[in-house]
Amino acid sequence: MSDRRPLLLKIGATVLSLLATFASAAYVTAHVKNPSAPLQPPVLSSSVRPADVQPVTSTYAS
Amino acid sequence: MRPELHFRAMGTTCSLFGDGDLAEGERWVRSIAARITRFDESSELSRLNAAAAWVDISPELEQLLRASLLAFEMSGGLVNVAVLPSMLAIGYTRPLTQGPTAAHLDQAHTAPFLPEVLKVARGRARLAPNVRIDLGGIAKGWMADRLAERLGDHVLVNLGGDLYARGEWPVAIACKTYLLRNLGAATSSTRKRRWGDLHHLIDPRTGLPATTRVEEVSVVAETALDAEVLAKTVLISGGAA
Repeated sequence: MSDRRPLLLKIGATVLSLLATFASAAYVTAHVKNPSAPLQPPVLSSSVRPADVQPVTSTYAS
Repeated sequence: MRPELHFRAMGTTCSLFGDGDLAEGERWVRSIAARITRFDESSELSRLNAAAAWVDISPELEQLLRASLLAFEMSGGLVNVAVLPSMLAIGYTRPLTQGPTAAHLDQAHTAPFLPEVLKVARGRARLAPNVRIDLGGIAKGWMADRLAERLGDHVLVNLGGDLYARGEWPVAIACKTYLLRNLGAATSSTRKRRWGDLHHLIDPRTGLPATTRVEEVSVVAETALDAEVLAKTVLISGGAA
């Protein structure tokens, strides 16, 4: 039994390493992010409408 | 007649419209502004800037610092509150109503990677040595969002152009009027706060006023803070974001 223990440990370590590698690859593939496109804001459409009325204020600082 | 209140704070014009205790809103703005101004050495922000060690901070400053870190991440580093040394180097050493001072562009430098130099924990924060921050537009956007929440269901808060419309309000953006409902908006421009060849929008990659082919960007977003960060990012990146 003691002769087989190092072999079992090596097999266990190899299996764990392979599992971690495949799990990491699966996670990264499922969470793709393009680092050159930092801004990914949601596009608003329904809540913004042009209007033909007098505005109460503006976004211009003074 | 619709209640409205106008006052000067944070070096700009602030306007509150609608329901709620607008006078209390003005007191809140002045109270937060006094804590986060860099022009008063006794302010909470100035003490943090000077300490280079862990400092106890108020919940409001903690939220603003966390918002600053988020803005850095959202913008890919283009919105970086650690550009204060460059702002001082270009002569923005005091409120611009008093005029800029002499520029020393050789003292401007690239801004540091914010998450490495600004650490925020519950009720306290720490800046690395020689790092100083200016909360500028981030504070106005964050405050517009918070104040609109405080004041009620039908209110428009405009803090120097960073605004949040709670309920439906007509707002002028880039020469057109839009009806905004529960949305924030902001305009970032190199035409304002400009003197000579210099302006206040620092590109953290160079430490100098942004050289950009875009002069002005207006954004409508879910919050005033998001609008402010997105507008500044697009402006500094020259529209490449």
